[in-house]
Amino acid sequence: MLILQLLVSGIETGALYALTAAGFALIFGATRIFHFAHGATYALAGYAFVLATRLGWAWPAGVLLALVVAIAFGLLLEAAVYRPIQRHHGAFFTVFVAAFGVVIVVQSLIELSFGRAYIAISSPLTRAHEVLPGLYVARVFWLALATAGVIFAVLGGFLARTRAGIGLRALAENPDLLRAFGLSARRLSALAFALGSALAVPGAVLGAMTTGLSPGVGAHVMLISLAASVMGGIGSLRGAALAGLLLGIVENLVVAGLDTQWSEAAGFVALFAFILFRPRGIFGAALVR
Amino acid sequence: MSALLSARGLTRHFGGINAVEAVDLDLAPGIITALVGPNGAGKTTLFNLITGHLAADAGVVELFGQRITGHAPHRIARMGLARSFQDLRLFARMSVRDNVLAATEPVSWFWQPGGARAARERAARGAQALERTGLAPLARAEAADLAYAERKFLSLARILASGARIWLLDEPASGLDPASRARFTTLLRAAVADGVTICLIEHNLDIVIELADRIVFLDQGRKLAEGPPESILGDPRLAAIYFGERA
Amino acid sequence: MTAYLLNLAQLAAIFGLLSVSLNILIGYGGIFSVAHAVFFGLGAYAGAHVALDLFPDLLLAALASAVIAGVLSAALALPALRVRGEYFVIASLGLQMLATTVFTEAQAITGGLGGLVGIPPPTLFGFTLAGPLVFLFCCLAFLALALALVRQLMRGSFGRALMALRDSETAAEALGKNVALIKTLAVVLGTAFAGIAGALFAFQEEFVNVESFTLDQSVLILAMVIIGGAGTLSGPLIGTLLLLLLPAALTFIPFIPPTDIGAVQQLIYGLAMTLLMIFRPAGLAGRAMGRR
Repeated sequence: MLILQLLVSGIETGALYALTAAGFALIFGATRIFHFAHGATYALAGYAFVLATRLGWAWPAGVLLALVVAIAFGLLLEAAVYRPIQRHHGAFFTVFVAAFGVVIVVQSLIELSFGRAYIAISSPLTRAHEVLPGLYVARVFWLALATAGVIFAVLGGFLARTRAGIGLRALAENPDLLRAFGLSARRLSALAFALGSALAVPGAVLGAMTTGLSPGVGAHVMLISLAASVMGGIGSLRGAALAGLLLGIVENLVVAGLDTQWSEAAGFVALFAFILFRPRGIFGAALVR
Repeated sequence: MSALLSARGLTRHFGGINAVEAVDLDLAPGIITALVGPNGAGKTTLFNLITGHLAADAGVVELFGQRITGHAPHRIARMGLARSFQDLRLFARMSVRDNVLAATEPVSWFWQPGGARAARERAARGAQALERTGLAPLARAEAADLAYAERKFLSLARILASGARIWLLDEPASGLDPASRARFTTLLRAAVADGVTICLIEHNLDIVIELADRIVFLDQGRKLAEGPPESILGDPRLAAIYFGERA
Repeated sequence: MTAYLLNLAQLAAIFGLLSVSLNILIGYGGIFSVAHAVFFGLGAYAGAHVALDLFPDLLLAALASAVIAGVLSAALALPALRVRGEYFVIASLGLQMLATTVFTEAQAITGGLGGLVGIPPPTLFGFTLAGPLVFLFCCLAFLALALALVRQLMRGSFGRALMALRDSETAAEALGKNVALIKTLAVVLGTAFAGIAGALFAFQEEFVNVESFTLDQSVLILAMVIIGGAGTLSGPLIGTLLLLLLPAALTFIPFIPPTDIGAVQQLIYGLAMTLLMIFRPAGLAGRAMGRR
């Protein structure tokens, strides 16, 4: 029964990881920018929700605030950091270091504002009910699954059917096509960042209620998103989502057999193995060196 | 005269596309061979197969009588095969002088063998390459700061300095102004007179006519024709393919 | 006060050695590793064991640390050879996270979270180096050695080969460079020096524990190299001095509560990293932009 319990929490974590990882993969897939500060988006969204709750706002307002903060942050970075660097023929290295710097700045600002301790929002959603003998499931589990399901369905439809969605997919692979359709690369890039950043919000909000937040959460989530994107195959949203789900499950199952410390490490062993033996990931296209 | 470089049946597929299909190529000493064909004909891919940058699905390459198919690119390069790239791939953050010196240093270790004497010889070879390409006054400049024509010449200077006997040049003179082009072709002719064998990919037919002793025509991965310039360039069927008048 | 300054100077020398060694990978080799603290740690643990289990000879500890870090750097070299820049960064990130866990769990070797304590003062040719000034000179000597070696190598054929593969791997191959070998040599060299820095650190602190070898530390060393100027000789030193003196300077500012100093410090160098990448990516010692 313990395994089943761990599986449940694993799927819950995994669903949220899947969303955040998909956000990162979306941005990278469309703009080819390694948005290493995506984890900071998650952290900011989560803490914005916490702030709203502390101010006594109702939860929809809190979610809205988180969305506004996340999207604004993503757009700000695209305009003020990534685009200027790319204009000056910035190497990948330069983009990465700049993003890293942003992560550190955000982390320290959060620490100065909220302190280093774990913060969690208590909510009736997290109260567990015994569903089967020995198996406790909280309502937030179903919420996480439902949210992930709905968002992925909508996202899939958007990317496949709308002009903007197709534009996003074309942006990375075939920029000339955009001109033919009268779409602007700049606006699509902004859209990618807005959409990708928004995808971090559900995970952040639900995460604030379940596992809780700390200033370092952004880094942790970033690493997971990165690992998921690599293992799923860079450029594949489906892959990133699937890998995110798997990482969540593995992270929780490992606790059954090994120390908690190893649960995080397990993900990295998998990541390292993938990079060594199958860098293209599960769904990705072959890398061109 | 026996060929210095000999490729037989080179084939490479990408997914469903036959990039190069059963191509034979012989490069004989003292001859400039031009590789022509419409875009996507597989010319650069053929170069990549020969130099080892890309693995062949089938076929054999022999250099100076030795089989080099499947060898690592740096090993093939050290045997005396040099190659330039369409996008140049200069060492942008290094000086012009260092770009050229790097070409003279074959051993991958903390130091080169031979001591001070060999070092002086290498430096002399490098300086000579810079002289012949007219880059000596720019020796200390950073490669990224060079003008277009200078960059083209630096790419050539590297190859000159390497001492290679067989050169595969990928559109080496494209975009050059007439004066620079004239200097370029003079340099290539002088190298051939020194015993170097050159094969170049070139779209500019003026350059091809000026330089080529022999032309190899590729289309969609296959070798369609091979022969002296007059017969190839005079063939209306090939002209039609080249200028894209295919159905 | 003098003791405090001497301590700071020793740390400056040790971290100077760390950034000079990371510069070999990042600046000259384009091998972007965020796992440097791992080798710092390996060297520290190795040095600590030599001091505790054998005899605390400085040279012996330094040698053991260099060898262990250099050999284990294969873990870093392997991905460096297999995948290009972006993926390598991730791999090194994964390695750093993994190493933190291993350092915490391998109680027998690393002392776990408690670490290894009671490291005796170092000896050299039989003489105990009791005074901080003498030890400082030893650290500076190692730093000077590393600098001289780097300067010599980077001006010669190895430096050219390394920088060539940084700027264009395929062109370097086409000119006969054995990319795999050069990359491995660079990684071994850089990590070996990081290991030596670790041994020095073990003697300096008289204890080692995993807290000093986490991702935060790797990022600090990275920041020193980048802010100072990657690929230059003086850059890493400038970066080290700046980033080490920063927290010291911050303690003198009255209105920052001491518990917040760490966060403010991080805030400043995070900001510095980002702003530099936008306006002056070559770092303080590097070339200004806009000259093209």
